[in-house]
Amino acid sequence: MNNSQVEWGAAEDAAPYGAAASPGCRSPPPLLLLFFLLLHLKTGGASSPCDVMTAASAVSSEVQPNETLTHLKTESDTLKTKLEEERAKLHDVELHQVAEKVDGLGQFIMKTRRTLKGHGNKVLCMDWCKDKRRIVSSSQDGKVIVWDAFTTNKEHAVTMPCTWVMACAYAPSGCAVACGGLDNKCSVYPLSLDKNENLAAKKKSVAMHTNYLSACSFTNSDMQILTSSGDGTCALWDVESGQLLQSFHGHAADVLCLDLAPSETGNTFVSGGCDKKANVWDMRSGQCIQSFETHESDINSVRYYPSGDAFASGSDDATCRLYDLRADREVAIYSKESIIFGVSSVDFSLSGRLLFGGYNDYTINVWDVLKGTRVSILFGHENRVSTLRVSPDGTAFCTGSWDHTLRV
Amino acid sequence: MSSKAQSSNNLAHARRTVQQLRIEASIERIKVSKASADLMNYCSEHARNDPLLMGIPASDNPFKDKKPCNIL
Repeated sequence: MNNSQVEWGAAEDAAPYGAAASPGCRSPPPLLLLFFLLLHLKTGGASSPCDVMTAASAVSSEVQPNETLTHLKTESDTLKTKLEEERAKLHDVELHQVAEKVDGLGQFIMKTRRTLKGHGNKVLCMDWCKDKRRIVSSSQDGKVIVWDAFTTNKEHAVTMPCTWVMACAYAPSGCAVACGGLDNKCSVYPLSLDKNENLAAKKKSVAMHTNYLSACSFTNSDMQILTSSGDGTCALWDVESGQLLQSFHGHAADVLCLDLAPSETGNTFVSGGCDKKANVWDMRSGQCIQSFETHESDINSVRYYPSGDAFASGSDDATCRLYDLRADREVAIYSKESIIFGVSSVDFSLSGRLLFGGYNDYTINVWDVLKGTRVSILFGHENRVSTLRVSPDGTAFCTGSWDHTLRV
Repeated sequence: MSSKAQSSNNLAHARRTVQQLRIEASIERIKVSKASADLMNYCSEHARNDPLLMGIPASDNPFKDKKPCNIL
């Protein structure tokens, strides 16, 4: 066993396709051993795992395509079942069972404090500024408006050349907003204090996709933007030069949403798409680290848990699910028989105890994250809730809806 | 000719899938009980600071409409 471990390390370095070396593999996972065994039998006599690895790539290019294809197919099926088994092994208890010792939450009375009216059509997306009072929102009529949530005044308004502005984001500094939609681009508008300035003139086109832009978000600085698109990819761009820094391929269908990990936990982000998968990516390597496929329909929204160790997703199958990244599985489902409409948007409260979900049946459901029960249901919008975000200091949350208004 | 291109496409795709699965299979995992305990700890630690959970006094709530004071 010791010998093979040493050679294992060497094999990882020699691997031509640069698979990320698994951190400290103390014992070779059984499935990889299985792979080696299969390949050993196939090539008939490669003496060490090192040779087998390099032989594998050589062999597959020489042998008939059909043969290798079926071989790869069976291998992927084997790996998939092994993956499921590995995940199931660690599933010793449910989250809500562990949470039984925690106190239940009392009744919540949340009222709409502000209604922001001004959009001429469906509100599609919104984002809070770090100063906790400004909000940027975008709508189907192509308008992007910056509001002051305390006074309900409109501070800036920009008209985009396209309709269906599906994504908008506030820069961390509060000095710019990014937005995009059917124009397949993400444009950054610097906000100036001068009211007479024509914002549209200062527009900088940053991202270029081959299909609609579904979501965008600034990274920790104003200099980089992460975008996701209907063309199935996510991409990281440099704002100043408009250059593509990294692209992320792996979704089989449109990517509908993304969320960046909270800064303490590093350079990862999660994306959800129409292929029912939620993928976690490493921003530096462009590699998909983890993938979760338990939803039954398109994932409309993903949001990281405040600690960065988990994320929630909302989907057209009317459920919200919580996935833990370290346990590598779904740990909770938030659903009710009576809820049949899809979730368009989810967000956590500051402590992560509450999960807010905006639904297509015009309501907002508030869930207790630990216990898995619904705490409250909020009414007020007259059409489906399309976007929902909790403010940076957690004192309020804002929802945007197809009824042309935003509520705080 | 096109079938050959397609099969090589499928091949590349299958190879990528296998590669991806291999990477995913090799990550370290922890037990759900530990992960849940950590989530619970995080919640209880930060619950005090969560305004939506605890509620804030009306004087601190920036969104509450302030009534004008009448000075007689």
